Amino acid sequence: MALFGGDSSSSQDAKTALVKQIQQEAAMNNARQLISKVNEHCFAHCIPRPGSTLSSRDETCLSQCMEKYISFWNTTSRTYGIRLASEQKKLGGQDAAAMAAFGTPSSE
Amino acid sequence: MDQQLDVSKLSEADKKELTQILTSEAQKSTIQQTVHHLSDICWNKCITGSISSGRLDQAEDACAQNCVERWMDTNFAVLKHLETLRGGQ
Repeated sequence: MALFGGDSSSSQDAKTALVKQIQQEAAMNNARQLISKVNEHCFAHCIPRPGSTLSSRDETCLSQCMEKYISFWNTTSRTYGIRLASEQKKLGGQDAAAMAAFGTPSSE
Repeated sequence: MDQQLDVSKLSEADKKELTQILTSEAQKSTIQQTVHHLSDICWNKCITGSISSGRLDQAEDACAQNCVERWMDTNFAVLKHLETLRGGQ
């Protein structure tokens, strides 16, 4: 390690650290959103009339719903990715993701 | 997380590379945002009965795929019609 900044190794270190932090935060954000959606949908689906406790039946429903939602998310992601790639090819490299994002409300 | 990042330490080449990485991360995040939105609306359309298994059955999987595809079609149809409206002016 040099005493003064600006040498190539500390530049590398700073870059690696920054990229790692950004990727971690992005992954965390994605997970947080997924969990929030699972909560929203599975609560609506499994707990139509909240009782005084969560029954074991409710808990089974919630577990199954969560697994199903994650599988559903994966199918959606895969299908969207494939479609996006084919649209991009059709448009000759234009940004189909940016176009499709018009239909997505910016959220939380 | 609270690690101090000194951007002034970055070389020009690394700054350039970082900009590229940031652009692709931002795009990835836009795509994920859309996937969250799609899962949200398609779940409401496709999962209507009671949930009896944690696995996605064939009909649900097919519905999810159709939902995404038709949503994309809708998007492009709206944009296309917008073009004709603008052209007619």
